[in-house]
Amino acid sequence: MTMLSRVAERVYWMARYLERAENAARLVDAYHHMVMDIPRDSQPGWDILVRILAANPIFGEYFRVPNEQNVVKLLVAESGAACSIPYAVHAARENVRTTRDVLPDEVWELVNELHLYAREHSGNSVGRRNRQQFLQEIVSRSQVITGVLNSTLCRDHTYRFVKIGQLLERADMTTRIIDVGAADILDQEGAHQAIDHLLWGTLLKSLSALGAYRRMIGPLVEKNAAVDFVFLEPAFPRSLAFCLRGIREELSPLSNHTQALKMVDRARRKLRRFESEKYGRDELHVYIDDLQVVLSQVHAAISDTWFRFDTR
Amino acid sequence: MDQGWGDYKATGFYDELFTPKGRPRVAARQAVNMLGGLPDGELDARRTAAEVAIREMGISFTVYTEGGNIDRAWPFDIIPRIITEREWRNVSRGLAQRSRALNRFIDDIYNRQKILADGKVPADIVLESPNYKTACVGASPRFGVWAHICGSDLIRNADGRLYVLEDNLRVPSGVSYMLENREITKRVLPELFENYSILPVDDYPSQLYATLASLSPRERKRPCVVVLTPGIYNSAYFEHAFLAQGMGAELVEGADLLVDDEDCVYMRTVDGPIRVDVIYRRIDEEFMDPEAFREDSVLGVPGLMRAWRAGKVAIANAPGAGVADDKVVYAFVPEMIRYYLGEEPLLRSVPTYLCMYDKDRDYVLSHLDELVVKPANESGGYGIMVGPHSDEATRRRFAKLIEKNPRNYIAQPTLALSTAPTFIDDSVQPRHLDLRPFILQGRETYVTAGGLTRVAMVKGSLVVNSSQGGGSKDTWIVEGKS
Repeated sequence: MTMLSRVAERVYWMARYLERAENAARLVDAYHHMVMDIPRDSQPGWDILVRILAANPIFGEYFRVPNEQNVVKLLVAESGAACSIPYAVHAARENVRTTRDVLPDEVWELVNELHLYAREHSGNSVGRRNRQQFLQEIVSRSQVITGVLNSTLCRDHTYRFVKIGQLLERADMTTRIIDVGAADILDQEGAHQAIDHLLWGTLLKSLSALGAYRRMIGPLVEKNAAVDFVFLEPAFPRSLAFCLRGIREELSPLSNHTQALKMVDRARRKLRRFESEKYGRDELHVYIDDLQVVLSQVHAAISDTWFRFDTR
Repeated sequence: MDQGWGDYKATGFYDELFTPKGRPRVAARQAVNMLGGLPDGELDARRTAAEVAIREMGISFTVYTEGGNIDRAWPFDIIPRIITEREWRNVSRGLAQRSRALNRFIDDIYNRQKILADGKVPADIVLESPNYKTACVGASPRFGVWAHICGSDLIRNADGRLYVLEDNLRVPSGVSYMLENREITKRVLPELFENYSILPVDDYPSQLYATLASLSPRERKRPCVVVLTPGIYNSAYFEHAFLAQGMGAELVEGADLLVDDEDCVYMRTVDGPIRVDVIYRRIDEEFMDPEAFREDSVLGVPGLMRAWRAGKVAIANAPGAGVADDKVVYAFVPEMIRYYLGEEPLLRSVPTYLCMYDKDRDYVLSHLDELVVKPANESGGYGIMVGPHSDEATRRRFAKLIEKNPRNYIAQPTLALSTAPTFIDDSVQPRHLDLRPFILQGRETYVTAGGLTRVAMVKGSLVVNSSQGGGSKDTWIVEGKS
C-alpha cells in the first residue's frame, strides 16, 4: 500500500496531538486530585503544570498570576493557546480531516465528536465543579479512539506512523513529567515528609502508572523505584523503555530507516545506562535534558526521511 | 395530527409529489401517507436525528466570508423527491447523448474544427471564449473524451417536463452529497424503504474508478489513479476526500506530485516516488500547472501539461474541456447533437437569447423584467439577475453591462421551477428545486440514478446554490409505479 509523505506526516501528528490531549488531561486531573489531599499551606504551585508542558511563554501572553484559576483556564479553556487541551484536540481533528481517506470512518466521527465535545464544554469546565468530568471525558474519548485505531487499522504504513507518533509523544511527556515533577518533589523533600509518597503517587497517576506500579512493585511509592518504573519497566506500556522499543519495531519495516533507527538506538543505549540511585536532583535533570535532545533527534530523523525529503 | 400535510398547497407551480388537485402523485402516495401518518412531533424528531447524523458524519461544506472560512453542516431536507424509473430512463438516455455530443464537440474544436468550418457554430464565439485554451490545441485524449465527468443541471418547468439548464464540464461537484443524502435517509426514515424499490446510488465511486482507470496510458491491471485537490480550504474538499476514499485512491495536493525529465508524473510517498497514471483533478485548470497557466499558482504541479500532452498521464476532466460549458455555447448543443450524432436531442434545452446578436439583444433589453440574465462564464449562481424579482436600478445596471460586453451575457425566460414539499420550521411547505445528475464517460458511459436535488430553502426563491442558502434532498428513482 502506498502512502503519501504528506499523509504520513499528518497521521503522525494526529496521533501525537491525540496523545498530547490525553496526557495533558490526565496530568491536570491527577494534580487536581492531589491538591485536595494536601494541607493548604503545603500546596505546591499550579505553575508546575505550565512548566511540565513547557508553556511558560504562552502563559505570559494570557495571564500574569499562575494561580489555579489561570493555569487551569489556560490548559482547559484557551482553545487558541498551543499548550491547551482543546487546541490539541482541534489540531488532531484538522489532521484527520485531511487524511480521512486512509483512516477508518469511525475515527473521523469519533475525533469530530471529541472536538465538538471539547468546544462545547471547555468553557464551563475551569471551575472545580465540572473540571474532573471534562478531563476524564477527554481521557476516555481519546482512549476509545486509540482503541479503534488499534483494532481497525491494517498493519501498514498508516498504522506505523500513528504508532510512532503516539509512542514518541508519550515518551516525551514521560520525560517532562519526571523532569519537572521529580525536581519539585526533591526540592521539597524533608519539608513535607508526610506527603512525599502522595506526591510520587500523583506523579505515577499522571502517567497512568500507579495501579501497575502497585501490582508489580508494591504499595509504597518511593522515588527511585518510581522513576525506574516509568523509565525502564519493559512490561509497562507507558514506560520509556517500552515506547522506544515500540518505535524501533515500527521503524524496521519502513524503507530508508537507517538514520531514524540510529537515533532510537542512541536513546535506548542512554536509557540502559540510567541508574536512579546515583542521580540527585541536578544530575537527574541533566540526564533527562540529554535524553530529550535525543528524542527530538528521533523526530528530526523521521521528518527528514519520510516527510520532507526531496525526491530528486 | 398530520403536521401540516393536510394544508399542503402547491403554489401554482408544478409539484413533484402532488397533483394540482392536491392529491399525492401515484409514485409518492406511499411516502406521503407514511410521513403524513407519523405521530405529532415525529417528523421534527426525524429531522433532528438527520441533523445529528450530518454533524457526526462530518458532512460539511465551506463558505467563504469576509471573517474567514466557515465549515457549515450540510443543509438537508428529510422529505425525499420521487421520480419514476420510466421517466428517468428517457432522461438518462438524453444525458448520455448530450455528453457524447459535447465531447465530440470539444475534440473537434481542439483538432480539425469541422463544426466551425461548416458554420454550424460561429467560430468567434468559441475561439474568443476565455475557456478556449490554446495550450490544448492538437491534444487527443483517449477515446476522444475530454469531459469524463459531467454534471448537468435539470429543472422541471410548468409543463411538467425536465429541461437542461446548463452543463458543468470543468470540475462539477455535489455527487458526494447525493450519496450521503441517501445514507442519511436510510438512517432516519428506514420505514420508507419497505414499500419502495429504489434504484441504488452507492456504486458511483466504483463506476468513477472504472471510468478513470479506462483512461490509463499504461495497460495495467490496477492503474494508479489519484484525486488532485487544491486542499482543505476548498469548499468541496469534503467531496474530494470522500471520493478518494470511495475509490481507494490517493488524495493528493499539488506538492505531492512531480514531473520528471521524461514527462512522467510521480507522487512522493514514504517508499519513494511512484508513477501516476490518471489524475482526477478537482482544481481549476488555471491553477493546474504554473508552467502552462498561472505562474503564481502554488496549488499546481509544474510540468503537468507537458506530461498530459505527451500522453504520459491522463487528466480528468481534460484541461480545455470548459470550452463547451460556456453559456453561449450551450445554445448550440441541440445543433451539435444533430451534427455529430445525426440524432434529434432527447432532452429539451431552455430557449436562450444571445446578447451578441443584435436581434436577441434588442429583445433582451426590452424584456429585462421578464428574463433571467446570466454572465456566460460564472458558476455558483453569481452575477445573475432574475428579471421579475429585480428592481429598476439592477435592470439599468445589467442593461449597461450587456451593452458593454454583449458576448458575455445570455438571457432565458424565467422558468417556473417545480416545487416539492419541504419541512420548514414546523410545517410542510412547497419550495423550488433543481436536479444535478452526473454523467461519466470513458470507455463506457454511465449516468447516476437520479442525482443531487438542490432546494431553495427560502420561500419563493429560485436560488438553490448551497453557497447562497440552498439545501438538498434525497432523490429517488422508483421502479414499478408510474
